[in-house]
Amino acid sequence: MTAKTPSKLEKVLAAGHFAVTSECGPPRGSDPTEIVEKAEIIKDHVDAINITDNQTSVCRTCSLAVCIRLKTMGLEPVLQMVTRDRNRIALQSDILGAAHWDINNILCLSGDHQSFGDSSKGQNVHDLDSMQLLQTVRLMCDEGKFLGGDDIKRPPQMFAGAAANPFADPFEIRVARLAKKVAAGAQFIQTQCIYNLDKFEEWMKGVRDRGLHEKTAIMAGLTPMKSAGMARYMKNRVPGMDVPDEVVKRLADTPKEKQAEEGIKMCIESIQRLKEVEGVRGFHIMAIEWEEKVPGIVEAAGLYPRPEV
Amino acid sequence: MTVQAQAAVAEEIPSIEPLREIPTDWDPSILAFACHYCAFAAADLAGVMRLSYAHNVKIIRMPCTGKLDHSYVLRAFERGVDGLFVAG
Amino acid sequence: MIVGEQKPLEELWESIKDHKKVLVFGCNTCVAVCQQGGNKEAEILASLLRMKATQEGVDMEIQDSGIERQCEHEFFEKTEERVEWADAVLSTACGIGVQFMAEKYPKPIYPGLNTTFLGAVEELGVYTERCQACGQCILAQTGGICPIARCAKRVMNGPCGGSTNGKCEISKDVDCAWQLIVDRLKLLGRMDDYEKLTPIKDWSSDRAGGPRKLVREDVQHDS
Repeated sequence: MTAKTPSKLEKVLAAGHFAVTSECGPPRGSDPTEIVEKAEIIKDHVDAINITDNQTSVCRTCSLAVCIRLKTMGLEPVLQMVTRDRNRIALQSDILGAAHWDINNILCLSGDHQSFGDSSKGQNVHDLDSMQLLQTVRLMCDEGKFLGGDDIKRPPQMFAGAAANPFADPFEIRVARLAKKVAAGAQFIQTQCIYNLDKFEEWMKGVRDRGLHEKTAIMAGLTPMKSAGMARYMKNRVPGMDVPDEVVKRLADTPKEKQAEEGIKMCIESIQRLKEVEGVRGFHIMAIEWEEKVPGIVEAAGLYPRPEV
Repeated sequence: MTVQAQAAVAEEIPSIEPLREIPTDWDPSILAFACHYCAFAAADLAGVMRLSYAHNVKIIRMPCTGKLDHSYVLRAFERGVDGLFVAG
Repeated sequence: MIVGEQKPLEELWESIKDHKKVLVFGCNTCVAVCQQGGNKEAEILASLLRMKATQEGVDMEIQDSGIERQCEHEFFEKTEERVEWADAVLSTACGIGVQFMAEKYPKPIYPGLNTTFLGAVEELGVYTERCQACGQCILAQTGGICPIARCAKRVMNGPCGGSTNGKCEISKDVDCAWQLIVDRLKLLGRMDDYEKLTPIKDWSSDRAGGPRKLVREDVQHDS
């Protein structure tokens, strides 16, 4: 497999290495200090850094601006883009804006509903959905065309990805939905946080049965638990999340001051196990407001040093 | 209406009048809607038997209490009736 | 049908309180089905507003009337006099009726309802949205369930990642439209259709394309 774009993430995957990505949330203000610090902490341990796009519908600095910041620091950003807030003009325009700065990775998402955030009285756009955004990215990159049909001068070169939730309902279409995303043009997939490894492996089997793992690079999503409370919250309150009882129990049975450490340990164990699953091509470590733990996890999981490509 | 909307409306609108002092010599004016076949017949019988009942109750005969309509109730209140009694 | 919800009495009072003769005017089709704006509801509302006027010590006349549909000229004929009498009308029609009346009569026409959606009577007293009149029906592809009206993100290739136990991420009381679609495709033996990508939608027939108009020359009167 050879890389088609200048994306470092794509090159790492094409070279057959496990890829490692992490994510950072832009600040709720204009001060770049914090995000720069977060990026500095993780930069040597990951191949690319996802920058979230107003996640949970809470208004923040835009993903594109922070991606540009990372680019100027010599780092590899993954531009997350949700279809909630922009119509097709704005989406295509922002894709070109990203390409203007030679940002080469994009993750296409629909986005959490605005009722979760600080703007519940706002409109949502959803002119396109996440799969149609993927198609749009691929049209712009591969064919050098706008949705309107006109040619793009210097088309973007993007490694286009999508999210997948192996645990979401309805059960019977979990694999079929991935197949749709692959058909729409997803070159890589970052999954929802995996806690139920048995169920994930079952999903991967379905994915392999259809050969989807050969058509797209599946990166397993992981979020270390900070406490038993967080595990319970994820289990009960976060839509589409599958946290088995034994995960909650293992944390709850650990003394409170050791729970964070146990959470990290569980995350590392998961990576070790998932490395053996055929079709898993990398890891997306989402340490929410806990970026300083990423290097330790990557090292302990045997994913360090990162390859030079 | 959503719960939030209901709460917002409830907050904005003082829906109930403040309670007023009741004069000691005040009798409420009560209107009774009575079904021809039962309650009204009972009232009729009471009359025949020369039984007395409260003077502030006025009775309106209805063919059936199923004939009672929102507008009768509201119109009664509009015209100063204090309470309604529906019997059937 | 069009579903509406009566505005709070206080808001209605604020709009009419400076007028001397007010007609509360019902519309006896769609908004009568949801028991919010029919002629009966107009009658009740007029009574409530008369009591409000009495309480506020405001001297005004409030009457009620109504017609079958406030969105067609013909129906207004029999109530011309009542409308003429009023200095202001509180229409309990949907937004269409209110505007249609306002175009016909040079006097204030106030809305009595908030027009909420196009819906069905799921059971007595429960009305739910089914259609957003996007102008290009895709129900044939989606097993008869509309993701535009019934998915909070109008996802055309759903479901999104927030679907849990058949419910939408916005509320456990809201069905996930895509769960319904999948269930329905399964029932119809059409699960293969699920994997067809729904193409990018042309929204120009929707609100986005500007006010819409349909002309049927074959049924128009010769002028």
